[in-house]
Amino acid sequence: MSDSADTGIKMVMAYIRPDKLGDVKQALAEAGAPSLTVTNVSGRGSQPAKKGQWRGEEYTVDLHQKVKIECVVADIPAADVVDAIQEGANTGEPGDGKIFTLPVESAHQIRTGTTGPDAV
Amino acid sequence: MVTPLQLDPTTVANGVNNVWVLTITFLIFFMQPGFALLESGQVRAKNVGNVLMKNMSDWFLGTLVYFVVGAGVVGVVGGLTSGGGIAGAFAHISDPNAWIGWLFGAVFAMTAATIVSGAVAERMNFDAYVLFTIVMTAIIYPVVVGFTWGGGLLSAGGFIGSALGAGYLDFAGATVVHMCGGIAGLVAAKLVGARKGRYDANGNSQPIPGHSMLLAVLGTFILAFGWYGFNVGTQATVLAVGDDGSLTFMGAALGRVALVTTLGMSAGGAMAMLTSARYQGKPDPLWTANGLLAGLVAVTGAVPHVTWWGGALLGGLGGFLVLPAFRFTVDTLKVDDVCGVFAVHGVAGAVGTALIPIFAVGGFAVNQFALQVVGVAVIALWTVVASAIVLYVIDAAVGLRVTEEEETEGLDEGEHGVSVYPEFVPNERRESTVATDGGELRTDGGERRTDDGAALDDPVGGDTGVNSDE
Repeated sequence: MSDSADTGIKMVMAYIRPDKLGDVKQALAEAGAPSLTVTNVSGRGSQPAKKGQWRGEEYTVDLHQKVKIECVVADIPAADVVDAIQEGANTGEPGDGKIFTLPVESAHQIRTGTTGPDAV
Repeated sequence: MVTPLQLDPTTVANGVNNVWVLTITFLIFFMQPGFALLESGQVRAKNVGNVLMKNMSDWFLGTLVYFVVGAGVVGVVGGLTSGGGIAGAFAHISDPNAWIGWLFGAVFAMTAATIVSGAVAERMNFDAYVLFTIVMTAIIYPVVVGFTWGGGLLSAGGFIGSALGAGYLDFAGATVVHMCGGIAGLVAAKLVGARKGRYDANGNSQPIPGHSMLLAVLGTFILAFGWYGFNVGTQATVLAVGDDGSLTFMGAALGRVALVTTLGMSAGGAMAMLTSARYQGKPDPLWTANGLLAGLVAVTGAVPHVTWWGGALLGGLGGFLVLPAFRFTVDTLKVDDVCGVFAVHGVAGAVGTALIPIFAVGGFAVNQFALQVVGVAVIALWTVVASAIVLYVIDAAVGLRVTEEEETEGLDEGEHGVSVYPEFVPNERRESTVATDGGELRTDGGERRTDDGAALDDPVGGDTGVNSDE
């Protein structure tokens, strides 16, 4: 079997501020990688915890609402996608998020049955 | 000369007044969805169905019980505590002309009953709650009405009222309905016990945030809308017939109750907003919503009796007291009153009604003030004692609380077998030969375990093909 990296397919997975999703979508479209999947998620990183109030009692909110973006590319360099997300999601404040790039072992388009980079 | 088209003024007045009473009765009924939303928003998503079931049972069981038993108990208690007769106590059952009046009374009874559910949310056994709501509408609330509006103990002709030379003033039920419900809720919340996790090992309260501020505030507005029926509608006479047959429109009386109701709720909301901003640093929507309701409760007994500025002060006082009264309930009394019904309905009702003579349009009267204080105390004492006895009996019979496991899982699943916010519901039915419900299929590739968590000897991991270990 070939090594998974040989497919040349990458998944760029990013966690961003919900209000930066529009900017990121725009930047991805300009970079030529408009296809993406988004999910509402909660998580914590460098952003400080917030205080919540319920009936005069304080509680800690240390999981912040974020949007997770998954963007799988074959023809476009993953680095370009990362740059586009970085550009769209940056505010300079703690809590802007993280971007990870992962190798993808295979791709398969459900409608046509196409496999490999063409399926992306 | 009598002309064929001449109208009898009494018939006209009766027609108009009864249509008005029916209309506001339907408005008061609309407070029920208000309570359902208000309470649902303040509990966690796993208990919303149980809150809804309680609110519905209050209404449909309460009306049945109040027709057959409760309304008659009002007459019995009213007669026995004033030296009057009790022969006609249950006459409403066979008198069609009494049925509009009965329904008008019934919507107040169901308001008192439904207040309790907000205090005991998220841990009370549903059977126990249903039994309590039946006794509440059959006896506990009707006795209070008998003492007051029913012409009994506290009214001008009752034993205490005639001794003090006054009649107890509670126009639309700030104490008769709201304080009675609020105190019954406090007693029930105390006896059921706090929700799991509400207090830490040191006895300090831990917040359990509700799942939707939106529902709570929307419910508050719906309640306030229905409240216009509650207060303004209790001015049931729109057209009055004079001795000479002349008709008088009671515009000033209606105007006063409508205005004081509005100013009371507004002052209550404003004061609670300011208090919460002072206490928490920011104006809080839930406190503000509670304060608006407390303002309404505070003026409910007072609306026709007080000046407009007196009503605003009473409402403001009710709104101001919500936060400290709730903290006192939770931190000092250690009672887990989930929706703050004692602060909103109990404290505001007591204070607003006791202080009516201070702001009375007709001036201050000492004996009236004394009766107001005594009346509040009598109603409170009766409600505490009666609720406690009933709850002890119910506890012995069916138990007041759900199990700890059920509380953790949620009462929607445990008491009713439902999920109010389901996810991943199958959208088609199919015949399947593969168990997808966890029967033999183990998607985690783990070992089969017995109910108590101990691993069995024959691990089945790998059967499902998802085990990727080399």
